[in-house]
Amino acid sequence: MKKLIAIVLITISLSLAQDAPEEKKLQFVFEPDSLSLNIGETGTVNIKLLDGDGNLSNNPFYVYGRPRRTLESSPRISDSTGVATVTIKVYKPGKLSLAVRSISEKRSDRVMGGIPIHVPLPPLDRVAFIDPASKVYVGTSVKYTTEVFDQANLKRTEKVTLSSSNNDVATFDSFENLMVKKSGKTTLTASVEGISESVNIKALKNPVRKMTLSADKDEIRTGDVLVFSAKAMNRSGRTVEDVPVVFSYTGKAEYGIGLPASALINQDGKFVAETAGIFTVMAQSGGYSARKTVKVVPRNVKKKITVVGHGTVKDYNTSDLWVWPGIGKHVGKDFAATGTWGANGEAYFWDVTDPAKMHIIDTVTVDARTVNDVKVSEDGRVAVITREGASNRKNGFVILDIEDPYDVKITYEFNDDMTGGVHNVFIYDNHVYAVNNGRKYDIINIEDPSNPFRVGRYELDTPGHGVHDVWVKDGLAYSSNWADGVHVVDVGGVKFNEANRSKLQFNPFLAMAGQGSPGNPVKLGGMSDPNGHNHAAFPFISQSTDKFYIIAGDEWGNQFGMAGGFHFLDFTDPKNPKETAVYQVPEAGSHNHWVHGDTLLASYYQGGLRIVDISGELMGDIYAQGREIAFFMSSDPDGFMANRPNVWGTMPYKGLIYFSDMNNGLWAIKLEDDAPMGTN
Amino acid sequence: MRRIIYLMLIIAIGMSGLLAKDYYLYVAAESEDEVALIRFDGKTAHVEKRIPVGVWPLEIEGPHGLSVSPDGEYWYLSMAHGMPYGHLYKYKTGSDEMVDRVELGLFPATMGISNATGLLYIVNFNLHGSHSESSTVSIVDPDEMIEIDRVETGIMPHGSRLLNNGLKHYSVAMMSGTLYEIDAMSMEVTRTLSTEPKMKSMSNHMSHNMKKMDHSKMNMGSNKKDSMAKMNHKMPPEKPTWVYPHPKDDRLYVVNNGTHNVVEVDVKKWAVTRTFKTDKGPYNCEVTNDGKYLVITYKSAAKTGVWDLSTGKEIAKFNNTRKVTHGVSISPDSRYAFVSVEGVGKEPGAVEVFDLKTLKPVAIAEIGKQAGGIAFWKMAD
Repeated sequence: MKKLIAIVLITISLSLAQDAPEEKKLQFVFEPDSLSLNIGETGTVNIKLLDGDGNLSNNPFYVYGRPRRTLESSPRISDSTGVATVTIKVYKPGKLSLAVRSISEKRSDRVMGGIPIHVPLPPLDRVAFIDPASKVYVGTSVKYTTEVFDQANLKRTEKVTLSSSNNDVATFDSFENLMVKKSGKTTLTASVEGISESVNIKALKNPVRKMTLSADKDEIRTGDVLVFSAKAMNRSGRTVEDVPVVFSYTGKAEYGIGLPASALINQDGKFVAETAGIFTVMAQSGGYSARKTVKVVPRNVKKKITVVGHGTVKDYNTSDLWVWPGIGKHVGKDFAATGTWGANGEAYFWDVTDPAKMHIIDTVTVDARTVNDVKVSEDGRVAVITREGASNRKNGFVILDIEDPYDVKITYEFNDDMTGGVHNVFIYDNHVYAVNNGRKYDIINIEDPSNPFRVGRYELDTPGHGVHDVWVKDGLAYSSNWADGVHVVDVGGVKFNEANRSKLQFNPFLAMAGQGSPGNPVKLGGMSDPNGHNHAAFPFISQSTDKFYIIAGDEWGNQFGMAGGFHFLDFTDPKNPKETAVYQVPEAGSHNHWVHGDTLLASYYQGGLRIVDISGELMGDIYAQGREIAFFMSSDPDGFMANRPNVWGTMPYKGLIYFSDMNNGLWAIKLEDDAPMGTN
Repeated sequence: MRRIIYLMLIIAIGMSGLLAKDYYLYVAAESEDEVALIRFDGKTAHVEKRIPVGVWPLEIEGPHGLSVSPDGEYWYLSMAHGMPYGHLYKYKTGSDEMVDRVELGLFPATMGISNATGLLYIVNFNLHGSHSESSTVSIVDPDEMIEIDRVETGIMPHGSRLLNNGLKHYSVAMMSGTLYEIDAMSMEVTRTLSTEPKMKSMSNHMSHNMKKMDHSKMNMGSNKKDSMAKMNHKMPPEKPTWVYPHPKDDRLYVVNNGTHNVVEVDVKKWAVTRTFKTDKGPYNCEVTNDGKYLVITYKSAAKTGVWDLSTGKEIAKFNNTRKVTHGVSISPDSRYAFVSVEGVGKEPGAVEVFDLKTLKPVAIAEIGKQAGGIAFWKMAD
């Protein structure tokens, strides 16, 4: 037995001893060990992979540049002895590198290496003032901005130094503001890395001897935009038009426990308050100032909500909805359709004639896992449901005959070239606008629903473009395109008629329409989204101001859940759109929305349904301004996810607000107080 | 005598314990945004874990392809959908913690890791494109999760696999009807071959040596003006979806989904040598490590076939438990074939286990919807 133990121990110790030969690691040798090249230049590096004794390893390695597409290296692989003479050509500036890695099956045997390749930015070419004022007044402060470009005509961000040739006349502060001290001439110079640009300016004696400040009202509500008019006058009382005026405010909140009085004033004199209180607005120029105090009262638009009806969907997640009046033998009745998400390809049809007793009357099941969107034609005869996750991957959309919503029939399954799935659709004037694969929208003629055919397609040409949703109104398609923002496309826009004195006249895109058709969609305008979150868009002619907005909704989320808001893009001047306001619930995520009159119905996922007063001019933080009329958390203990509101989409219909909740089905609610909302 | 019997019994139990192996696999559920870790103990397939993947809580991102690093330390997952580009994710095996991700092209799908370079080669399937543009194979450094290069191949490339020596990469372009060979080292397409069966191939197509072709005047993928009528792609009927090398690296098996056959390609001759007429809609395949059997999934027929490569005959065919049979992965001991089956609609996806020794189905595990990508991780005692 002892012998046996001894043999085993010896064997183990021998095997351990054999397992650990001192293996010398391979190493790369570069000649040179770094490179500095200008864009477009070529360099050469000799690379050897040596063993621990300094001999060629006879182990090949491969070569690549980092980051991708910044440099070209050739060859990509060494010879079998472990030697490569690599030619490098650089295409982009920055700290690039040439990386090498030995070829081996085991990760632990791989040896990596690399050398830095410094590619300096191209020399600067020019610096320029942007619309510099050539005439300034003593006692004022004027901001000067500049742009810098390099020889590749790329805009650069180098710090520009601004200086004045005569600091007794005018001098710059640290924030590019020129402080004008006395009359005279001076030359302003913008300089950066040896290049410069100069402008000559005249500092004139400030003729202002008096300031006045006025506004139409002494009392406004939170959220109301009040325009302050400032006048700077000379000794004889004449208005000085070109003197800069700076607006500011102080305030005291009415709740008086030390919380801030919050408001916003822009340099056009537009003022909006978020909190009630007493605010004093000041306008000053050249040492003269004027002030006006206004009272801000609570907006007071809150209303109560009553639940009229609810239909629980407990087996699956619910997606979008549509509500419409019955036709034919069902005239006088009302119906709704809802989709399902991540489920079994079902769409439900509801009788909501008595919303308190809404109930499912028919179910259509198609080969899909998500029916993301449901839409109904204007005449109530045709519905379209979208398909994603079809078992044959063909997806597309399904056209339904809904003349009898109690007996919905599948008319046609359109899936030609739609393998990527259709996420959203819209029906307008016998055409389906179908978001195809999130890349484009296809336009399908459904005059004969049993014989649909593609007539057009709209796709952006930007790198990495996408489209999420499309909405069509008055022959204009409003698409939501993530970072590319909203696009307004003429797909047969109603040519503007001067005799038409309805509110329609205030959609400026209609004045531009008449160029496009479903077969020839023509872009009229748009606005990109710097955040890349643009998910839905709804056109909005403000009933109270006649301004034209597109309300662009976000969809985005992170590890903390869904987030985002609704952006008010003022397209009153369609060539120069501006974002003027945002409605954003801090703790929840925005989804679909609808505008009814001057009211925004906002689906807010975990934040429930939000009903928001968007009357009057819109500026600043809508959420903070007390414009929320009501919110409703659609909790249902019997839902697919119990007691967890997650509102998807909403639609006003016959005085009620219908909405779908992803976790529990269909709802109808009513704003209890019928008192009209205040406006400006 | 009783003592001896007891002793033998103890030894037998001990031996059986030693011989019993657990087989671990990762399987993606494309319509659930989940990856399941499956453990098969020789009798029962257990869902050990369901791992949520992706970053968007309210969008299906589509986990599609899976691969485990050769040392078993990491698993890699292609996430098909993005805005618009998909990603490759890297997870640690065992803890299943996400390590990193890198953005790739449109609908990244199947991948393979080279035993020679250690690099990961993944096709950008672009399934949802207009089927008119050539796509690419992305080459990724899986250690640093950096995309090194993209190599253009054909329309809708799929079935990314490498020779065991790691030197050549193969993929098929579904809408081009072509097999592509990429040199894993130089990262260039070296050869292409029509995937048409032997006789037809000889008469209609020639194989191509890419180095002898002038592509400078080819307009690949610029056809944005699609016909607005019903799309007519005029694509070859083969629609190849998969390629898998024989363990000896001398042959490839290419699955022609559209014409219901698998062709055997001689790597040296670069020609189709045999054609196996299969059941409807073959989709994926894999060869056992011992080189004896070829297992083919029949997507349309909802079946799985086992072929004896020496005779070229199908020796077993199993009905899958639900529709849309997808992928297959075979244990390194050549004993079991693990087949993913998508299901339809709300139906759970499944992993079905077939014993290649007894040629019988042995176990099934239900996972999330649309089970697809499947990758073997390890065998453990």
